[in-house]
Amino acid sequence: MGKGGFYLETKAPIIKFAIAEKFLNLARANSIWPMTFGLACCAIEMMAAAMARFDIARFGAEVFRPSPRQADLMIVNGTVTKKMAPTVVTLFEQMPSPKWVIAMGNCAISGGPFAFEGQYNIIEGIDKLIPVDVYIPGCPPRPEALLEGLMKLEEKITGTRRFPIPEKKW
Amino acid sequence: MVKKTIEDIKNTLKNVDVSETSYVERGYHLAIEAQKENVAAIAEFFDKKGFYLADLCCVDYVDYLELVYFFNNHRELCRVKVAFKVEPEKPAAPTISHIYTIAHWYEREIHEFFGVYFEGHPHLVYLFLHDGIDCYPLRRNKVPVTEDDKKLLNSFKPEEYEDGFFVNLGPQHPSTHGVLRVVVDMDGEYIMSAEPVLGYLHRMHEKMAENRSYLQFLPNPPRMDYLGALNFNLGHVTAVEKLCNIEVPERAQYIRTITAELNRISSHLLWVGAFVADLGGLTPFLYTFDDRENILDILEGITGSRLTYCYFRFGGLYNDVDDTFIDATKQFIKRLRGRFGMYEQLVTKNVIFINRVKGIGVLEPGRTPKYGCSGPVIRSTGIPFDIRKVEPYAAYDKVGFDIPVGTSGDNMDRYMIRIREMEISLNIIEEAVAKLPSGPFKAEKVPKKLKPPKGDVYHTIESPRGELGVYIVSDESDTPYRMRWRVPSYSNLMTFPYIAKGTLIADAIATLGSYDLVIPEIDR
Amino acid sequence: MCELTNIINIIGKETVRAIIGLIGVLIIVVGNALVLTWVERKISGHIQRRIGPKEVGPFGLIQPIADSLKLLGKELITPTNVERPLYYLAPTLIFIPVLVSFIVIPFDSYLQVKDINVGILVILAFSSLSVLSILLAGWGSNNKYSLIGALRSVAQNIAYEIPLLLSILPVIFMTNSLSLKDIVEVQREGWFIWKWQFFAFLIYFIAGVAETNRTPFDLPEAESELVAGFHTEYSGMRFALFFLAEYTNIMIISAIATVFFLGGYLGPFFPGIVWFFIKTYFLVFVIMWFRWTFPRVRFDQLLNFSWKILIPVAFMNLIVTGGLLKL
Repeated sequence: MGKGGFYLETKAPIIKFAIAEKFLNLARANSIWPMTFGLACCAIEMMAAAMARFDIARFGAEVFRPSPRQADLMIVNGTVTKKMAPTVVTLFEQMPSPKWVIAMGNCAISGGPFAFEGQYNIIEGIDKLIPVDVYIPGCPPRPEALLEGLMKLEEKITGTRRFPIPEKKW
Repeated sequence: MVKKTIEDIKNTLKNVDVSETSYVERGYHLAIEAQKENVAAIAEFFDKKGFYLADLCCVDYVDYLELVYFFNNHRELCRVKVAFKVEPEKPAAPTISHIYTIAHWYEREIHEFFGVYFEGHPHLVYLFLHDGIDCYPLRRNKVPVTEDDKKLLNSFKPEEYEDGFFVNLGPQHPSTHGVLRVVVDMDGEYIMSAEPVLGYLHRMHEKMAENRSYLQFLPNPPRMDYLGALNFNLGHVTAVEKLCNIEVPERAQYIRTITAELNRISSHLLWVGAFVADLGGLTPFLYTFDDRENILDILEGITGSRLTYCYFRFGGLYNDVDDTFIDATKQFIKRLRGRFGMYEQLVTKNVIFINRVKGIGVLEPGRTPKYGCSGPVIRSTGIPFDIRKVEPYAAYDKVGFDIPVGTSGDNMDRYMIRIREMEISLNIIEEAVAKLPSGPFKAEKVPKKLKPPKGDVYHTIESPRGELGVYIVSDESDTPYRMRWRVPSYSNLMTFPYIAKGTLIADAIATLGSYDLVIPEIDR
Repeated sequence: MCELTNIINIIGKETVRAIIGLIGVLIIVVGNALVLTWVERKISGHIQRRIGPKEVGPFGLIQPIADSLKLLGKELITPTNVERPLYYLAPTLIFIPVLVSFIVIPFDSYLQVKDINVGILVILAFSSLSVLSILLAGWGSNNKYSLIGALRSVAQNIAYEIPLLLSILPVIFMTNSLSLKDIVEVQREGWFIWKWQFFAFLIYFIAGVAETNRTPFDLPEAESELVAGFHTEYSGMRFALFFLAEYTNIMIISAIATVFFLGGYLGPFFPGIVWFFIKTYFLVFVIMWFRWTFPRVRFDQLLNFSWKILIPVAFMNLIVTGGLLKL
């Protein structure tokens, strides 16, 4: 593993086509590959979301890649302690862009039930370390909540939602 | 046994203050006050008698620190508490890690949380805490870290060893182990040494216990072991009930048994799936999760959560069960009994699986008292030690069940024991549902602000991983003075470096999987 | 029309045929990879009691296209301390043998890019090249996990190439020719799988599964032990090339099994190419079925199995076949 920074191979494109970007974003939203990064209790609900009952594979996100270099999405589920924090940041930096982060569970959003006065060991919320795109509250959130978070992420990438919430009629 | 032990102590060790305590109230039979000179002698005495070190913890009474040792016996229940006072300025104590190997880690933990220096300890470095910590966390007053200890903070650097080929297994795992990091020194495919690095999920449960009232601490134990959440909840609640002398109605005891056994089945199901997935067979993982979703639905109907249940309250339950629960449980029992045949064919009789698992990771029964192993790990070596039989709690003395025991202590035995335990749990649930009495589900007149009488209590239950011990010291206020959790995975994990030496890395991973570790309970 | 015939006469018939053939091979390789990713996810889903990709197009058919577009748009990261030449060369090198191997496979009696008279030798020689590229990827990544994965893969591939060769040899003995077309034509009297070569088929199939690093022999990319094996450090399109090569290798192994043992493109009613694809994809389905049923074999058990069991049995088969042919 290289020490220090990583060398970016690609430079920004000189010409960008809006239609090409639109198709690329559509492709990216439909094939988000998460990284296996379960820290604590919420990891079990993430695994349940990948299992037969809730089946995140329907949306193309079933390929959980163990190596950060091949993953698009880092779902941080569980409490991040001060000992684990450098690892989280390293893994985030190793992911190639475009990359996204979902903070799943109360612990990843703001420390959860472990943020008490005089606490000495946890990071209160991973958005103090890495940029977060979608927050999923719950302790632990249900697998359906994770699927809804995935829908929200797809909306963030493409601009439209897959299962739109019906508009208010009255 | 208790009388005999007292006699033996009086004969062998001189000047030792032994007193018999009420087991029903305190949870231990004997209390010994030790001095600096005879701590090691007492430990050697118990080692010769075949006792194991159940727990080693420290309590900070501001004028002195008290080191508490708990010894217990596999054959016949006799729990001994040895208390040893240390002065608060520059605390020092003799080590017993040469007698009991598990004390190696317990003493490291006490050193980093309380600042107690153990003379003669071979490797007193930090176990759980991170590099920038500047005080001893569990002391009552803020005591800064001394200069000598600061040097010990950053001392584990495997990258600097020139001759070894170090590979990190984790902390980011492709499998379901959680944040466990094992630094493995490899020679080709063989492992020279494996050293677990803990503390990546230290969530300060014991510190939180001192800052929360008894009722406010209730959500914490389920988060310690999220797979056996109801069992941890049960341990906490029964320990406090023992302390306050609250009597639980019978209906609540039966329902506690039923739900705890359901939780045990769901934990074992997840383990079976994760174990086979570690070995490469990804499909049984999905099938066991399917069965597990059934249990989660049943338990969600009465507790309201899917994973980290907090169903028991002091004196009974939060909610009574209704007919939907009973019917669903009966249907579930029938369904799961039919599924065992499929698992047998798919996994247990698979030649590749048998070759990966039989004869691997053998643990000899003679080593287990040194480590204090418990649960399926110790039952796989042939010792039939199950807290549900030895010290029954809830309604376990009213239902009949037997304990599966292995013969050779390898991974196959641990796997078969857990499958048998699932079948036995189904029988227990069936019997308990049939015998379920009517009545109140909650004791009356339990005060909202619990102020237990002064004293300490130790209570154990059998979680899916082994022996869980809760030690509560109360000082008549509404928050505990000290709450100590003795978790089964901690002592089970300590045998891993010993077993993994000289094996192939694939075997080591299979063995690690067979221990059924849940890391948040190790790191607390 | 005249200009076209003039151009063809100038360039030469063989060249035109070669160009059309190469374009066809490229289409088959890329199309096959896309189809196989979809097939794998759907099959794994249904074996695991769930549906696979469903939302992305009808029955998830657009899913492979979405995957490839996404991988095209990913950033290509090169870590600082890699060995540049080896790191860049490995993904390209793994892709070349699969393209070359498709040149000699007969899809139908007239649909073969070039009927080289040592056809099978070409395929075996070039598939050994893919082992080299795995080693380059593992060493050049400057990463311990990649190194261990690459070493395991090299040992595994070397061990299993021998039974592969030994199980094909009896068929070559019975055909007296190394050309793939001749081997299929000889099977007009009966497929080799039930003409005495059933064990050779089994040995070939097992060795083939091991050659392509699929479960139960997928230690080089053992996910629960080493993070992702030899392609840990590759991102974006380079990783896609490894993926592509793996799926194409599966197709090649199944295609050779079809040609050697199952009669190639022979069969009633349908045109030959349809039969060829039916038989090949049936074997591909069996290989995928293996992945989701069996756990992984441990490394020393794997090597023991090859050296101590497969090779002696293959030798016996060869000797018995030779003896029978002499009589």
